[in-house]
Amino acid sequence: MKKILFLIIALFSSATCLYADSGSNEIEQLKEEVRLLKSQFTEMKSSYENKINQLESKIEQFSQPAPAPETKPIQTAQSPQTNLGRYFQNFNPDISVIGDFIYHGTDNKNDAVCNQFQMRQAELAFSASVDPYARADLFLHVEPDGDEWHVGLCEGYMTLLNLPIENLQGKVGKFKANFGKVNRLHLHSLPWVDYPNMLTNYFGEEGMSEPGLSASYLIPNPWNQYAELTFEVMNNHNSASFAGSPGRDMVYLGHLKNFFDLNEESTLELGTSLATGPNDDGHGKNRTTLEGIDLTYKWRPLKEGLYKSVIFQNEVLFSQKDNVVYEEGADPKQVNSWGAYSSLQYQFAKRWSAFGRYDFSEFPDYANRHDNAYSTGLTFAQSEYCFWRLQFKHTDRDYAKDSNEVWLQCNFGLGPHRKHEY
Amino acid sequence: MKKIVCIIGLMLFFLPCSYAQEKINILTTTSDLKSIAEFIGGDKVKVDSLARGCQDPHFVEAKPSFMIKAKNADLFIRVGLELEIGYEELIIDGSRNPKIRIGQPGHLDASEGVLLLEVPSAVKIDRSMGDVHPMGNPHYWLDPLNAKIIASNIANRLGEISPQNKDYFRENLAEFNRKIDKKMIEWQEKLNPFKGQEIAIYHRSWPYFVNRFGLGIACELEPKPGIPPSPGHLKEVINIIKQKNIKVILMEVFYDEKPARFVSEQTGVKVVIVPNSVGGTKEAQDYFSLMDMIVDRLAQGLSS
Repeated sequence: MKKILFLIIALFSSATCLYADSGSNEIEQLKEEVRLLKSQFTEMKSSYENKINQLESKIEQFSQPAPAPETKPIQTAQSPQTNLGRYFQNFNPDISVIGDFIYHGTDNKNDAVCNQFQMRQAELAFSASVDPYARADLFLHVEPDGDEWHVGLCEGYMTLLNLPIENLQGKVGKFKANFGKVNRLHLHSLPWVDYPNMLTNYFGEEGMSEPGLSASYLIPNPWNQYAELTFEVMNNHNSASFAGSPGRDMVYLGHLKNFFDLNEESTLELGTSLATGPNDDGHGKNRTTLEGIDLTYKWRPLKEGLYKSVIFQNEVLFSQKDNVVYEEGADPKQVNSWGAYSSLQYQFAKRWSAFGRYDFSEFPDYANRHDNAYSTGLTFAQSEYCFWRLQFKHTDRDYAKDSNEVWLQCNFGLGPHRKHEY
Repeated sequence: MKKIVCIIGLMLFFLPCSYAQEKINILTTTSDLKSIAEFIGGDKVKVDSLARGCQDPHFVEAKPSFMIKAKNADLFIRVGLELEIGYEELIIDGSRNPKIRIGQPGHLDASEGVLLLEVPSAVKIDRSMGDVHPMGNPHYWLDPLNAKIIASNIANRLGEISPQNKDYFRENLAEFNRKIDKKMIEWQEKLNPFKGQEIAIYHRSWPYFVNRFGLGIACELEPKPGIPPSPGHLKEVINIIKQKNIKVILMEVFYDEKPARFVSEQTGVKVVIVPNSVGGTKEAQDYFSLMDMIVDRLAQGLSS
């Protein structure tokens, strides 16, 4: 009997324990839910408070005291045209202006604009989507021409983004030839004050920019690497290497750009270019052929990328120009010449970077004349939209007097200028 | 006969593979969006991001290799509010991928419907104000409630792109929201003791975080957004920190520590360096561990 009683008591006690256990679990669960609800309620409360604050600040804006009645003209109901005006404003292109101011000092007495301040260029840029298939970019340059100013179209082209062939893009208009790296850069986006001698000797003061057509194709490959092949046909107006006068023929140009991520912080770009076109006034059988190789290494650490970077950029160009007459009475012959530059830029602080560049360049018409130039400088980026640059350049010439030049540049931009390519 | 059975067996074995669905390729601009997209998309998606967590997301360069990533993407997700203004257009144009152009289903602005702060109220804003974002402060992912909205935007868009997996994405979204709710209790409990306290910051990345957890911002080390600290401005910062007895300078991993250390030497304020994006440090592996880290380090800094 005792045993039975004992068993019953034991059963009861364990039952209550079990009950208590499940009860405490339930309480814990309920507590958890209450905490969850409490936190959700606090979230909701703060989100509504935020919304109310936003609305209040808007009401405040709208209820600011109106100007005195005597100064306020009688207002009529807004005409639909005004609304329409605002509506059309959305379709205005992005407009930006870039000013490039320099002081250029030189000991070269033949330089017409030496030792003077100069507003070297003002660039007006317009860009927008044309329609779902294309975008357009226009760059107008206002430049001094003696005491006058002239406005010119540096580039103006439409890019066809959605062509029926996959990976293909087209470009029509006037644009900078896709030869090497530096020819495509505008004056204000150069990492130096001046273009390398190689470019000015073979393409003219501001490079080669002509009306034409361009097609570029991203070459699919099993390694998923960036490989872009560009083919361009342009008017034969460039006088430095080509005919330089209107004719029925064209300059044909090809460029292959390969890009490799060495790791997350450094990249290598290897490009090859080829351009060919007639070079004689009669646009006949005399041709110029140019070959170029460009190699650019960039390093920017991920974490300290705002403060440190290195760009090592190199280009070499070979030219074969037919039937050049060296001297009067001499037989015309082909001139094989070349030019190159090598540049190193090192950013050592958020706003500061230093650079050095070495130029070697012959001339398309004279392989027996050459320039050797050594440049060095310092750039201070006041902000993303304004920089100051000091550059010194010494040029050794074997056909004329050597020269020393110094520039102080201030470049400033207004508006949403489209970012430059990597 | 055996051969035939073998061949049929092999065919049946490979049949499910050929029917197996390909994953949706997602390319996000930041690693935070990547983390949230991975949670929502689960095993139906493959996600990559352009910026790494230890990078300043304002200054990502438009590398051609990013164009290849964008070329292969089915969905491109951006933070928006002009955070990616320096590279997004170049990458999308260069990718030649019409699916991810703005306005297409393959392009998602994660900021749709988020609670925005610091939308400039001035009629005209200009660059004398520094790098002001005209549509509002873009660092909204640092508010966990906004993370829920981002997740919902991603789930909706993934559901549109892959309707057969809509329910799967909705379930993952519900799970994400549940996890955020649960974590919010933990985070709030840790920061509740400091409610109402003000902190100093380097850049205006933190208003959303500070607003959510009831803290305040006393001053910034940058005189204006994006403008590096100047000695004159640091003097003002030192005065404010002394006057208001500020205990912490909260800053991101990619900014120069020297100005903050200088202020710390002058005032005794503690410098708390945390990532503001997933992957900014090894510990911040996903959105939740990122927030864990920010909350823990800030709480430690404030309590000391």
